[in-house]
Amino acid sequence: MIHPLKPRSRENLSAIMSRYYEGNHAQAAEGKFVVWIAIIVPTELLKGFDLVVCAPESHSAMCAARKMGAVQCEKAEREGYSTDLCSYARIDLGTFFDEGRGSPTLGLPKPDLMISNNDNCSLLTKWFDVYHREWDVPHFMLDVPFCYRPQQDKDLRYVLAQFGDLIRVLEDMTGQTFDIDRVRQAVHTSNEALTHWMRFLGMAAHRPSGITAFDMFAHMAPYFTWMRGEPEMTAHYRLLAEESEAELAAGNYPVPNEKYRLLWDNIAPWHQLRNMSSRLAEMDANIVYSTYATSIGRIEDRLNFYEWDGSDPLRYLARIQNRGWCCYGMDLRYKAMSEMIERFSIDGLVFASNRSCKVYSVMQMDLKRRLTKDFGIASVMIDVDHADVRKYSEENAFLRLEALLEQIDGGRTS
Amino acid sequence: MLGCFPLYPPLELFHSMGLEPLVLWGMKPFLADTARSDQHLQSFVCSVGRHLTEFVLSKEGALIDGFFMYNACDTLRNLPEILRSGLEERGHRSPILNMHIPMPSLGQTDARQYLSKEIDRLIDQLSDAFGVSFLQSRFESSVALYAQARELARQLETAVTMGRLRFGAFAGLIQGNAFRSVEGQIGAMSSLLSDEGQVVGDRVGNRSAIDIILSGILPPPAGVSDIIEDAGLNVVGNDIASLARSYGYTPGNETWRSPSDYYVDFYYHHHPCPTLLGSSDRRIDTLEALIRERGARGIIFLGEKFCEYEYFEFPYLMKRFKENGIASLLLEFAIDDDENLGPMRTRIEAFAEMLREGDKT
Repeated sequence: MIHPLKPRSRENLSAIMSRYYEGNHAQAAEGKFVVWIAIIVPTELLKGFDLVVCAPESHSAMCAARKMGAVQCEKAEREGYSTDLCSYARIDLGTFFDEGRGSPTLGLPKPDLMISNNDNCSLLTKWFDVYHREWDVPHFMLDVPFCYRPQQDKDLRYVLAQFGDLIRVLEDMTGQTFDIDRVRQAVHTSNEALTHWMRFLGMAAHRPSGITAFDMFAHMAPYFTWMRGEPEMTAHYRLLAEESEAELAAGNYPVPNEKYRLLWDNIAPWHQLRNMSSRLAEMDANIVYSTYATSIGRIEDRLNFYEWDGSDPLRYLARIQNRGWCCYGMDLRYKAMSEMIERFSIDGLVFASNRSCKVYSVMQMDLKRRLTKDFGIASVMIDVDHADVRKYSEENAFLRLEALLEQIDGGRTS
Repeated sequence: MLGCFPLYPPLELFHSMGLEPLVLWGMKPFLADTARSDQHLQSFVCSVGRHLTEFVLSKEGALIDGFFMYNACDTLRNLPEILRSGLEERGHRSPILNMHIPMPSLGQTDARQYLSKEIDRLIDQLSDAFGVSFLQSRFESSVALYAQARELARQLETAVTMGRLRFGAFAGLIQGNAFRSVEGQIGAMSSLLSDEGQVVGDRVGNRSAIDIILSGILPPPAGVSDIIEDAGLNVVGNDIASLARSYGYTPGNETWRSPSDYYVDFYYHHHPCPTLLGSSDRRIDTLEALIRERGARGIIFLGEKFCEYEYFEFPYLMKRFKENGIASLLLEFAIDDDENLGPMRTRIEAFAEMLREGDKT
């Protein structure tokens, strides 16, 4: 069975996330300017202003993890939003149509401005457009070119120019003056947090692994909120790394009899974190690494930390607009996954074909074929939906996962 | 031959450089199944993507010399590398060129200079990949040809509006233009228009017909077009991506001197489309103006299953039209939905009946 570890980190995570969501409502009630963002929008840049910043995607993931996803989705579907649309969007829209009811945080405070980007997930611009029309709230879209190879300088300059436009919009709307020193400090703070995050991820290389992908999924949460660039997040990732290192040194492993080391490709199945990790652990299988967790701290095909070198913080933020796994194409993903397979001694690949995230999933069939062929590694594709449990069948998924473990065994004996 | 997607590539530029652009959109009528595509794409990919892939990986697709794509939805942007992978498995290596069309509205971000440079970069890419060169005079000639083709398409639309041409025949011709050179398109459309005053495809101008607009990413399958018209609905306008959104706008000669100028004008003033993200707000006003101008009583939205861009906009559009007394109907088309049209017929006839009842009251 799985050994639930890192109790202090889990407790701290719960505390800081609760404070964050409660704080949003309280500060908005005091009249602070509220901004909604897509998770890849550079929050560190927004630290140049005094704002309340909310990330609807993070809120939707939390609803799903707390088993509220399907209920909120149904509310959006009743308003005419198709069940084929992303479940994060449906949860968020359902929460909006029901005025926050059903959400563990009573939804999010109404925005004064929304900022999306279209390279991680372009449908998010459409999702925000719904509110833009329903509420007549301005929507600023960062247009970030999708990359089939590492970001080109022309595109970086284009993104930087848009940062300038965004700063002007915020100055006009808030009446505040942009403070670049605060941005520099936020980038510095994020950078420090990420050194601890990368330490934490590195513990997957140990056999047995000191961590699981499910740990990674849970602890990504602070990064995809306004906590990015705050000392609170740095403290959390330091605690997480130190606690994980201490457990590893003491020989405490989440899957002590780890026999199968798996790599997960897609967003976390938020409604299944406990079920899936426990059931896999019973089979001595551990998903030791995930492509999703590497959306933080690195870019494109590089697996190592992409560190800030202390130069122009805005330029650095423009460069890391490509950090989300979905911001770039198959060749870059292939290279990064190849390195993951080798560095973390992966026995099998789990491609989670996610109906709610086409940008992540469409290409997995080719990726699977290439990696399986080039590395002679076992692999499987399972159907999931990251936040709508109605589109997931545990038995079908595990039938395939068990077949994967058999494939791995078969490869070892042959 | 240059295979292009999505819908609004710089056709004039390709043509002027001696390439034959083929817009790979709505390939379903030309394919029996998606067997090859199914090796690469999950079933939740839209029919457009699956048929596009199927075509490229088919025997006919192997005749294409290269591909061009610009930034589009989350599904299509993944296709270039999938196509390359599928082609390589078949022993083909074709250049795949791309460019990024700025998506914000001018009001938010002035990216005209970026777009200009993308066009210049594209010209360089074309030269490198195919050994072709750019000549201003040839570009001007190509612009004139495409302007003529778009004008003829608009005239044919008018013929549909006036009841001289069945919508299905019109849409079929325009879809078929994908496989014609621009000169061939002009020939085919001129020929149809030369029958001016005659009923084409047994369409009879029906004074009791109720005028409607069609909107979607693709025209309905031919069988559904027939059902719509047989139900007494007259298609007086469309907001269909491969029809009016494609032939709706051509920059005037006075607005440009270079290909960069031309395409800055072309993309910033393009007929609104959910795929051109910055134009989405204009779509609502454009649709309402079209409805008013043509005196339409209702609108039928043609939903392409899994097209997220369209499906995010339908509920708001339908709500807004309802508030303004415009009836709307949403039909959804999945990959094989035209094989069983019974339920579709029932819904369309009920919609027509509802509009007629509205007339009586």
